[in-house]
Amino acid sequence: MRTGRAAGMAASAAALALAGCVAHGPQLAPADPDALASRVELVATPFFPQRDYQCGPAALATVLAAAGVPVQADDLVAEVYLPARRGSLQAEMVAATRSRGLLPYVVPPSKQSLLEQVAAGRPVLVLQKTGAGPWPGWHYAVVVGFDTLADQVILRSGTRARLEMPAARFLATWDRADRWALIAVAPGEMPANPDFARYMQAAAGLESIGRIEAATLAYEAAAREWPTEALPQLGLANLAHARGDLAGAERGFRAAIERAPGDAAARNNRAAVLLDLGCPAAARREIDTAAALADGGPHVAAVAATRREIEAATAPDRAGCPPDSAPAHSPP
Amino acid sequence: MFKRFLVQVFCVALLNLGSPLVAQAGLIGTLQAVEAGTRAHDLAAVNAALARDQVREQFVALGVDPAEVESRVAALTDSELRMLAGKVAEAPAGASALAVIGIVFLVLLILEAVGVIDIFKKFP
Repeated sequence: MRTGRAAGMAASAAALALAGCVAHGPQLAPADPDALASRVELVATPFFPQRDYQCGPAALATVLAAAGVPVQADDLVAEVYLPARRGSLQAEMVAATRSRGLLPYVVPPSKQSLLEQVAAGRPVLVLQKTGAGPWPGWHYAVVVGFDTLADQVILRSGTRARLEMPAARFLATWDRADRWALIAVAPGEMPANPDFARYMQAAAGLESIGRIEAATLAYEAAAREWPTEALPQLGLANLAHARGDLAGAERGFRAAIERAPGDAAARNNRAAVLLDLGCPAAARREIDTAAALADGGPHVAAVAATRREIEAATAPDRAGCPPDSAPAHSPP
Repeated sequence: MFKRFLVQVFCVALLNLGSPLVAQAGLIGTLQAVEAGTRAHDLAAVNAALARDQVREQFVALGVDPAEVESRVAALTDSELRMLAGKVAEAPAGASALAVIGIVFLVLLILEAVGVIDIFKKFP
């Protein structure tokens, strides 16, 4: 067991080296030099010096304030600081950002993605795993700039308002923390080069804690950015349904199905709304398609429940029911 | 008896903590749909990397059945899959020989780390 683990660690080091984490020469120069400015510094980013071990609240206050939410590091201590662990959990940093109505976007774990966000004007909250210094272990800091010529990043870190750190050292500590990075995005705005899945995860989180206005802005921005994707339409339709706009919800779910005819969730939701609209026959056609698509997938239980509800309805459709949605494509 | 009732109420309350506030009965919440979609997306990304001929050859050379790896990957949790998809996405698309070995090692490492396979115990 012990030798197996040791061999695993050795192989781990080998794999990391092979994956290109242990590189020589300049670290920050991007593959495509025209893609990014060579020097960026967000000098207007506020600074909250940390107290004790509270780098988490201080770093979080920095990115929240930069996103336009006035906050003091002390206000965040109760939310994101665990005294017994002398630290803050990443999930709590995400939750505290969300609870202020900002979109907590976890940046894809690449150097390029990190620098893109800074170049687009957003300071980036990063987790570092350091081996030495006054805060051994884990540390949160905020990347506010970079200089590819000097090969360094500029941080708000701990008690240092402006810390220039050699890129190699920064990347090594960030890499050991699984390259975790977070930005706070005002709802309706987009991260630089946004990743659809990460963005939608953050936006749906806003809806799930009841930040409806922020979620609406975030889904609308997603619908503009990714006009062919179904999920933003589904999100907007769910919000329409939540405020009692059944006709609007039905249209939204139909728009989602048009974009993804195999989406069992959108069909399930449309069927439920059709039933509430007094169109049980149309609802039945939709839920039958949903059931065929949901088979073996994550929505099978929800679809079966909706189907039972619809099958209990016996009345005919009222006049003026909406047209059927797009058919599900048969597999080629 | 009353204590048992309290425990049941508490359990129901805990279960409700996980459900989105604005989702109505019968409707699948956006977060639920996103998470289901994310998993499918991650699985496709990992499987696409595993399907490369060079990657399969490396698995075979290490004595691991590629089909076995694929079915084990499907058994990973959402967060494990997320991590793996992130690592695979970082590897350059051009796939030099070194990058291929990198992908193979990363996949094996993560499967090893979550206790799915024990390939590294075979090495002295």
